[in-house]
Amino acid sequence: MDTQSYLPVQPGVGMEENFLSLDDILLSHERLPARTECTFPRLGFLEKTTDSQDITEGTKMELPLWLSKGLYERKRRVLSVELPKVYREGWRTIFKADPNVVDLHKMGPYYYGLGSQMLHFDSPENPEIAQTLLQTFIGRFRRIMDSSQNAYNEDTSVLVEHLDCLEKTLFRSGQSGLNSFQSWEKGQASQLTASSLVLNYRKRKMTDIQP
Amino acid sequence: MDPSEVEFLAEKEIVKIIPNFSLDKIYLIGGDLGPFNPGLQVDVPVWLALNLKQRQKCRIVPPEWMDVDKLEEMRDLERREDAFTPVPSPYYMELTKLLLNYASDNIPKADEIRTLVKDIWDTRIAKLRLSADSFISQMEAHAKLDNLTLMEINTIRSFLLDSLNCMYKLRSNLQPGSSKGQLTDY
Repeated sequence: MDTQSYLPVQPGVGMEENFLSLDDILLSHERLPARTECTFPRLGFLEKTTDSQDITEGTKMELPLWLSKGLYERKRRVLSVELPKVYREGWRTIFKADPNVVDLHKMGPYYYGLGSQMLHFDSPENPEIAQTLLQTFIGRFRRIMDSSQNAYNEDTSVLVEHLDCLEKTLFRSGQSGLNSFQSWEKGQASQLTASSLVLNYRKRKMTDIQP
Repeated sequence: MDPSEVEFLAEKEIVKIIPNFSLDKIYLIGGDLGPFNPGLQVDVPVWLALNLKQRQKCRIVPPEWMDVDKLEEMRDLERREDAFTPVPSPYYMELTKLLLNYASDNIPKADEIRTLVKDIWDTRIAKLRLSADSFISQMEAHAKLDNLTLMEINTIRSFLLDSLNCMYKLRSNLQPGSSKGQLTDY
């Protein structure tokens, strides 16, 4: 049993985000290729490539997800967002062929999260993206399950290397099931141990307490 | 749920013991036990049997199914069938471990039984994984867990539930507009 000092908030995965999830906060900083559809007056200092005062219409730049989500509007076209290349047609074919060969950590590491977030931007390819995300997950499920349920007492870094962040949490929950069963079978579960929280406490020194 | 909690539940199962002391009926909240007479079989829960055994006050009579021939038959059937076969006891794994650890001198061929039960367990876990995979890949919404024991469900529970949660969310992406109404404006 591992006790943690805080319970991490799970990522939202779907189109909504969990405000307090660390994974979702990191996800919102992923950069997306975007193109401005109107002039941004007096914001030229943000764009280092030109000297002009304004960001002109049609400038291509990379914006973080949170900013593009805020600026994107269907009616007033402020900017248009392009798909990152993992979600484009070419990569989708690869995922369809064999989802297991792809290194999602390198491609992501928030492949599923970012993919679901991309559905906020109305692109004609949205249904295909959603379908590919689901099929990729299903295709990779067996391998994650088998590796997480069989790797007992060994180095798992090779196994999790190619996994997306979401898959890593799944892997960890599979491992916790296996580990608790194995420790029960070996009779370790019946021994009482001090909580890891308590072990981490250091004795306070007098000098720390006194101002 | 923790395996030790499952083990706790298993300790409520009834086994037969042969005590070597005499004691009147004892009245407990969970039911009356006894009376205990030397040499006469009596039904008690596992926790009491183990306690008495550790104090060398009784001999444990192994359950009927804890027998090499029966277990071999069961193992072969389990390997032949695609579906889960009925198990002798809903807590077969836990009981085997408890009884063999504390009372192996009362059980004939303890080592063989240990291996056989482990074989049955491994076969069943492999089947469980196979059916979990087909459950996910066919995107089913419900499954019937006939003949599965609590301990078996428990090993895969957290993993399977998390995966189903993720799959549900990825699936709800397929219906555009379903979650757009909840989109909050930051």
